[in-house]
Amino acid sequence: MALNLTRRKFLQTASLAAATAAMSGCFARQANASTPFVKKPFTAPGSFADTKTVVGGVCEMCFWRCQLVGKVRDGKLVKLEGNPKSIDNGASICARGNGGVKLLYDPDRLKFPMKNVGKRGAPQWKRISWDEALDECATKLKAVVDKHGPHGIAMFPHGSSATYPMGFFENVVGTPNISEASFFQCRGIRDMAYVATLDTAPDENVDMANAKVIFLLGGHFGENVHVSHVKRYLKGLENGAKLVVVDPRFSASAAKAHTWVKIKPGTDTAFLLAIMNHLVKTGKYNKAYVEANGEGFDKFSKGISLATLDWAAKICDVPAKQIKEVAELLAANAPNVSIHPGRHVSWNGNDFQRERSLACLTGLLGAIGVKGGFVAGKGPKVGKAGGWPKINEEHAEAHALHKMAKKYQFSPPGTPTDMIRDAAVSGKPYAIKGFVAWGQNPIQTVPGEDLTIKMLQQMDFVMVCDIMPTDITMYADILLPESSYLERYDMIKPGTQWDLSGKQEQYIAARMPLVSMTAADHERKDPVWITNELAKRMGLGQHIPVKTQEEKTEKMLAGANLSIEQLVKEDGIHVQPGVDPYGKVLKVKFFSQELAEAGFPAVPTYLPVPEPPKGFARLVYGRAPVHTFNRSQNNVWLVNEMPENPVWLNDESAKKMGLKDGDRIELVNQDGVKSQTSSVLKVTPGIRKDTIYMAHGYGTKNPAMTVGVGKGIDDQSLITKLAVDPETGAHGMRNNFVKFVKNGKVLSIPA
Amino acid sequence: MSQTTSISMAEIYRFLAQSMRYPSPDWMQADYFSVLDTFIAELGWDTETQALGQSLFESDDWLEPLQVEHTRLFVNAIPTVIAPPYGSVYLSADGMLYGPSAEKTKQFYREQGFDLAGEADIPDHISFELDFLALLAEEGKSDEEERFLSLHFRPWFPKFQARILQEGRHPFYGVLVNLIDFFTREEM
Ligand code: SF4
Repeated sequence: MALNLTRRKFLQTASLAAATAAMSGCFARQANASTPFVKKPFTAPGSFADTKTVVGGVCEMCFWRCQLVGKVRDGKLVKLEGNPKSIDNGASICARGNGGVKLLYDPDRLKFPMKNVGKRGAPQWKRISWDEALDECATKLKAVVDKHGPHGIAMFPHGSSATYPMGFFENVVGTPNISEASFFQCRGIRDMAYVATLDTAPDENVDMANAKVIFLLGGHFGENVHVSHVKRYLKGLENGAKLVVVDPRFSASAAKAHTWVKIKPGTDTAFLLAIMNHLVKTGKYNKAYVEANGEGFDKFSKGISLATLDWAAKICDVPAKQIKEVAELLAANAPNVSIHPGRHVSWNGNDFQRERSLACLTGLLGAIGVKGGFVAGKGPKVGKAGGWPKINEEHAEAHALHKMAKKYQFSPPGTPTDMIRDAAVSGKPYAIKGFVAWGQNPIQTVPGEDLTIKMLQQMDFVMVCDIMPTDITMYADILLPESSYLERYDMIKPGTQWDLSGKQEQYIAARMPLVSMTAADHERKDPVWITNELAKRMGLGQHIPVKTQEEKTEKMLAGANLSIEQLVKEDGIHVQPGVDPYGKVLKVKFFSQELAEAGFPAVPTYLPVPEPPKGFARLVYGRAPVHTFNRSQNNVWLVNEMPENPVWLNDESAKKMGLKDGDRIELVNQDGVKSQTSSVLKVTPGIRKDTIYMAHGYGTKNPAMTVGVGKGIDDQSLITKLAVDPETGAHGMRNNFVKFVKNGKVLSIPA
Repeated sequence: MSQTTSISMAEIYRFLAQSMRYPSPDWMQADYFSVLDTFIAELGWDTETQALGQSLFESDDWLEPLQVEHTRLFVNAIPTVIAPPYGSVYLSADGMLYGPSAEKTKQFYREQGFDLAGEADIPDHISFELDFLALLAEEGKSDEEERFLSLHFRPWFPKFQARILQEGRHPFYGVLVNLIDFFTREEM
């Protein structure tokens, strides 16, 4: 036939008769042959062209969980906004919250269950059915349990979608080997140190809106944005609060500060001890509070008595005068001061002691239960549902690695990441052969990528459940696609009005879908469904606590005399009268018997951290306002907002090194590990010479993240030396040191 | 176009729409291949026939490579999803699903008395567009068919086709997009 055959001519050719006969056989089964269309008489635009407001969204672009409404036009989510009824974030959301729309419609999102028919790390994906995927997961996981015991499975969860499956693996399957990045690579140390001191996890419960002084250690609000949290901070500043920012870098907060303490990184505890010692020695602490509520104060004051202003000045590279100034400022305004507990605190491997120092300083100033102090809002009660029965708790307890080794007595819930990884790689004290990642990307969250990969490679089976093709998905044998936070029922978010001194109110919001999941081009499922199906296939179906996400939500709401229907009627948020949160007194363990018995320093103690080798500077990292670490890495809007993470270098150092602002550079660390991508240099007087800074969450290596791949430098890949906090077993990630590389030439950093 | 050819076009569109769905023994049987074979033979695409024959018919294990290729091209893949089969990925500045062009496509469906079955269906999926063309052809609406092709299909299809021709690792999808191109391109 001629090359210039036309469609018309083609249709007239005689030989097509054969094809016409065979045509009906091309759609063999009716189910697959049905058209995706339904007939519907056309109605003039108007009714469906209007944008509707759908209530019940709760953001999950970060953990802060602002309440949202969705603007939905004809089934498509066009825009996210703060729910105007919210007494927390109000009508505002941040750039990342806005970017949720792009997550929903990201063409790289996972769509179907997939089986890796290639290799771990170099996958070849084949789409499979849910039945096949779940059968395989269940069979393989069960085989691990049968052969090695429940502790043969390790699970790395993250985010609210992982709560339900985590309960299943921990309580019903019975494995202690659960490593939550939010604990071991983030805030676990803080929580445990405050529990050991004040008997409560602190969250971010400082009443900044009503404080006279706000004290931040590494906190960089403005770059680190959580809507109502920032509202409190800004209100405080507006009302004239003095701001003290302790940071080696001139951060967004430092730019607003009354006092910027340009501290040498890793020495913060020495700084805090000197402040406390000064307050004790000069009698400027809150005697009434300490006498009434302090425990072991004498041992404490003796224990910190060597921490003079001069001692700390030398260690911290900060003038003694400035330390004194800060101490006096705090004392003069006590008790109405916000000593911020921080959030991401896994820095140097001596972090428990720093966090305990913050808690003790809070107690010393009596800044508890008072305006501006450490105060938690009193949220409403809601019901509980979806908890799995603890049928295997004893087994888990007996096989917890840190308990077996009698280490890390102050570990947050779960098992320290390193112990799981070491056990998996060495096979000692027992084998770990099944791996489940659910919403966590341990390739980027956990330092020591090589070891993580070794752990994964020796597994009998690796299952990953996620929304996006993050780095960890490349190691999955079976990969399961989840619904996003905009498409499912999920958690309940209770809370209070953002300004604790405002009209006392409480709210209850539930995460409810803003858009439907029903679509022909994907088969995503929600975590309750996936976990239940897995449980059934593993022969554990009898323990299933709720059948659907919706049922879970209904049950929790019922505990507050609410229902989904009612909540929708109330525009997605139920508001009721609240309770005055002030006046609650907490005991302060200045000396901790518990710590003493476990063999740890019982009064806050400064432990020096390794110094940068000659020619290197310490690598520190932080948040960027438009990103939540690697969760937003592939988000087009957010990537356009800040496509790379500039690397900060002191201007005088840069001059000596012959580097200019805007140069393209790479980094190499103390172990000779080079960044696999490059970034742009930011030359500034706003950073110490011994410190290099960049935002975390860039430079993903997974090419399936078509937007984010290779953009900026992945700080995690340079964190090869791991510090482990002795009390908690959590990671310290800031004991790594870097040099610059430009055009292939390694450049030392002058001291 | 005469009445009879329109009916045939409906079948062809439907055949093409089906061809872009996930390869499965449910529909990928002898009948399917015989139609495909007839088409490419008729078009005189000898090289293609040969390549297809080698990868599909001379091996018992022909299905899995096809599934892997489909997943890599259209679903999720390493090193990258080659060619998401949605119009707005190629038409909107940010390369996202359900861009403004997709909404307009949906509007076109509506105006012709059709709606998508799934509430969250992305309107401009290639199979949907081809299925829709089948419906128009079936109803003998050849003007609308041409209008849809020129307004909503041709603006993106060549970009999609180019990616597959450049990055495909299995001859099947190259042949298929060329087939789709043949049946949808503008005729002088
Ligand atoms: S702070 Fe931003 S990202 Fe975090 S929950 Fe609120 S809107 Fe979402």
